[in-house]
Amino acid sequence: MVTIIVVPILIALYMSVLGLDQYTLRQWLNAPFIGVGNYVEALTQSSLLKSFWISISFAVISTAATIPLGVGAAIATQNRFRGRAVVRSVFLIPYVLPSFVVATVWRTMFQPGGIIVNGLHSAGITSGLWLNGPKSYWTLIIVEIWASWPLIYLLVLSGLQSVDHEVHEAAALDGALWWSKLRYVIFPYLKGPLSLACIIAVLNHINNFTLPFVLFGVPAPRDVQTLPFLIYITSFQSFRFGLSTAMGFMSLILVAIPLFIYLRAVKLDTD
Amino acid sequence: MCSKKKANFGALIAGVAMFALALTACGGSNASTSSPNGAGKTINVYFGADTTYGQQQQQWFNDVSAAFEKQTGAKVNFETYASANDELTKIQTSVVSNQGPDIYSLGTTFTPTAYSTGAFVKLTADAWNRIGGKNKFIPSTLGISGPDANNQIGIPFESRPFVMAYNTDLLAKAGIDKPATTWDRLGAQAKMLTGNGVYGMAVGYKDNFDPWKYIWAMDRQSGHALVNGKTAKLDDPATLKAYQTYFGWLTKDHVVDPASVGWTNPQALAAFASGKAAFFPMTTATSMNTLDKSAVKGKYKYALMPTVPPGATSAPSGGTPVASIISGDNIVVAQYSKNQDLDFAFIKLLTDDAQQKIRYNTFGQLPVNQATAKELETSNPALAPFVASAAASYATPFTGAWGNIQLALVNVVVQAIPSLANGSVSDTTLQSLLADAQKTAQDALSRSK
Repeated sequence: MVTIIVVPILIALYMSVLGLDQYTLRQWLNAPFIGVGNYVEALTQSSLLKSFWISISFAVISTAATIPLGVGAAIATQNRFRGRAVVRSVFLIPYVLPSFVVATVWRTMFQPGGIIVNGLHSAGITSGLWLNGPKSYWTLIIVEIWASWPLIYLLVLSGLQSVDHEVHEAAALDGALWWSKLRYVIFPYLKGPLSLACIIAVLNHINNFTLPFVLFGVPAPRDVQTLPFLIYITSFQSFRFGLSTAMGFMSLILVAIPLFIYLRAVKLDTD
Repeated sequence: MCSKKKANFGALIAGVAMFALALTACGGSNASTSSPNGAGKTINVYFGADTTYGQQQQQWFNDVSAAFEKQTGAKVNFETYASANDELTKIQTSVVSNQGPDIYSLGTTFTPTAYSTGAFVKLTADAWNRIGGKNKFIPSTLGISGPDANNQIGIPFESRPFVMAYNTDLLAKAGIDKPATTWDRLGAQAKMLTGNGVYGMAVGYKDNFDPWKYIWAMDRQSGHALVNGKTAKLDDPATLKAYQTYFGWLTKDHVVDPASVGWTNPQALAAFASGKAAFFPMTTATSMNTLDKSAVKGKYKYALMPTVPPGATSAPSGGTPVASIISGDNIVVAQYSKNQDLDFAFIKLLTDDAQQKIRYNTFGQLPVNQATAKELETSNPALAPFVASAAASYATPFTGAWGNIQLALVNVVVQAIPSLANGSVSDTTLQSLLADAQKTAQDALSRSK
């Protein structure tokens, strides 16, 4: 654990207090020590706070939208029916596709002249630009929802399968209608898996770099400059390695909040 | 002649390769007295993957390695990168760890950034001699090898100057004998050519690179410099005028397809290839691959892009008649390389006439070797615009901050695209975006060393 986690974190922490850039990279240990300079610059002179807000809202909206989709799909495929295995497999396609493939395909569909723009145009709707301007934020969310809802589906499905047969039989004997059964019998079983699914989903959304990077390219519209994207640009376009490490540390704090909740949730479950 | 060249590619590759390798081998025997002995050694070379000619590239790797081994006894291990990001990551890790490829192939505009790391060999007179001498190269290709003649790291490898393609049929129908040499006149010609589903120009506003090249060129043509020492001047009226012209093709002149707000360069090329655009500025010789298989095959030519800035009818005093950035690839040698003798011998092989011809015939990359270029130009008049453009190519500012400045210039377009799509980019919006770009550029320049 010391080698894998502590040492890299300490090195990164040291880098974050250095004026480390393309000019000093070659002998990075001799880069000038600037204390909290990078942290101050990140907070006061960069778009870090805006990126914080974009990442958080993007993660929360995406998670909230995927819950009903995932739960609905899991419940719909809970009972046996002909072709259930095929349907379950199809549901997993968005999740198993590599992120860059998803982003490339959606970028093609959303670009001017793409299938979505043309389809809406045929229906009499002038949709405008999806990959630039304010609408790009919603493009990012739509694609993220499409790609990530199977995670919720999978975890809810695993929760549903832990419900004993006897419970279903008892509910049927008591004459419970489907909503009552769902609300008072099934949902309590899903509370744990669904909570974990939400936490994992939020972490995944916050850390998703590939999707906005491939969808929008560099430089990206301001509305989709998520935290990982900003850190990437700072590091690999502006070559401000010290500054980007400081940004990375601050984003770690952001990620640590749901992570803390996640760890608590795991602990609660194991108890 | 260009078409003929492409048509003969398949047959030509094997023939020319064998001939050239034979020449190389002959040359090798002559040069072997000065060639280092590399028996038992391997040099590692990092090249961009060629997605168009993947198989041919692999074959070329094998052939050139065999030729080098015959000459020096050393093996060559090629490693490829798929994107600039891969390349950047490799350079960074190699710079920090002091180990990695011995030789890197870099895009010309990335050379200042590479120089700023201090990780690559500065070329001494002796090093140049080992490569075959500076005189071997087309002088303009050396313009972005370093900040000055005494501090150079980049050895020109191949040239891709920017030119403008035009549809000869459409121009003839409109009674235009040749493309204009001023931006204003080109805009007027484009207006004449717009109509019946055809647009005067094909432009990729969403491209991640093209926009800054237009702005930089127009700016230099007007006599203004975006960078003066450690001072950025992106908020100058000349820069504003360049952006206004660039956006005006869509918002005022209506000579470009409104959909082009979402186009990158390949999409603009596709529009030109389908015959729906008369001019396609900012393209290179590599576009021949697409155009010779398209609806405009045999109906297009290349010309220099205008060298007179917007608002002028002739080159203003103090202006530079820029036709293109110095575009192509440079080769650099890592300081940590333990085989620098072999590295330079290998670079000599790559930049000598035989390999330069193979690179042109196989991949369509123009030579940087002066003698090769002259011979090709004589035998293939269709190359004249490229040769002229290479001669009128100028270097972008040689500063480690250029990457940031380039990004800031493109960012102005990216953030203006919603307004552009709505049909108007106001001066207020543009000035505000330029102020942001100016700040980014100045911050980067102030940090530069």
